[in-house]
Amino acid sequence: MNILHQLELEHMKAEIPDFGIGDTVDVHYLIKEGDKERVQLFSGTVIALAGSGIRRNATVRRLVAGEGVERTFPLHSPRVANITVRDRGIVRRAKLYYLRDREGKATRLKPNLGKLQYPRSGKGSGLSKAAATDAPAAE
Amino acid sequence: MTASATLGILGKKLGMTQIFQDDGTCVPVTVVQAGPCRVLQVKMATAAEHPEGHRTASANGGKKRGKQSRPRAADGYYAVQLGFDDKPARLCSKPELGATKKAGLEHGKRFVREFRLDQAPTEKPGEDITVAALTDVQHVDVTGITKGRGWAGTIKRWGFSRQPTSHGNSVNHRTAGGLGRNMSISKGVPKGKRMAGHYGVEKVTVQRLKVVKIDAERNLIYLHGAVPGHYNGYLVLRKTVKNERLVADKPGLVIKNAAAKAMATKGRK
Repeated sequence: MNILHQLELEHMKAEIPDFGIGDTVDVHYLIKEGDKERVQLFSGTVIALAGSGIRRNATVRRLVAGEGVERTFPLHSPRVANITVRDRGIVRRAKLYYLRDREGKATRLKPNLGKLQYPRSGKGSGLSKAAATDAPAAE
Repeated sequence: MTASATLGILGKKLGMTQIFQDDGTCVPVTVVQAGPCRVLQVKMATAAEHPEGHRTASANGGKKRGKQSRPRAADGYYAVQLGFDDKPARLCSKPELGATKKAGLEHGKRFVREFRLDQAPTEKPGEDITVAALTDVQHVDVTGITKGRGWAGTIKRWGFSRQPTSHGNSVNHRTAGGLGRNMSISKGVPKGKRMAGHYGVEKVTVQRLKVVKIDAERNLIYLHGAVPGHYNGYLVLRKTVKNERLVADKPGLVIKNAAAKAMATKGRK
């Protein structure tokens, strides 16, 4: 195995929650206020996944007071405490940048009504191989 | 030769990645395989200092008549010669093998460099230098050969500005502008005028890279930022010649929790 890949595996989280493009998620992000740490929620639609290995990140888009806000989270950062899925969406693209041009009802995505198999950990999911095989059993 | 008079180590660039610190900061790192390096030879200013004393050279000194016995000449300076990365014996010349044999090796080394020192080195030929030698070093200077860019224009090579893409400009978008002056004050194109030409494949030293982490078990060293050259390119790592006092002022990125908290309360710089 490529030594660099191996080193990345060692620093990566053993498991990251299973979610995909088009899902609506809550990102639990640790923020520091003085000496205290607290969890901040960022809820929105995953419009892009990029990078591989420890560099994997997810771009989440939400609307705040009518203004679109996007944040990119490094999935293996210790600051990203957890990611929970609210809704699964069916999409036909890997990058949902077209949502930036839309407003209101047009931003709705087709809900996943059990047609797709979850979890969709697999190639490019950013999960380690072990985690990918363990995940279905855990569901 | 730089003035840095400490023994460094030889290494190989494995690639770049990122690691997260405890406080969540993401640090771009270059992973370098540093050592183990075999000490191939030790150079002494005077022959008397040499560990083997006045060894007689068995070579015939370039003369055709038989072997001569003469005292070993002094090297005239202090240095340690290190060899890194094994090279199969079938690829080595006989003189190469002869040199490495003195350090107890059956094969050659692909990357051999000398480190000049101020004082007589304590290392002996045949010893190994590992990355553990850099344990107390906080910053290093890294020397390598940059990637080759072939024949490059002035924009890439010297950072010249590009010319307008429109407003009547035709064809000359990435060409250099004026080269000199005209008429009576002209002396032709000034000497040293920066122009297009071959770029890259140069020896470059990046100074004061922070040592983020040392993995002595696997002979790896993590450096903050980029180093010259392509992956698997050879590098020379030395303790930095830059002022280490700066380190105390700016404790950089590898800080344990206590230090990090102290920093956080002071506010970010």
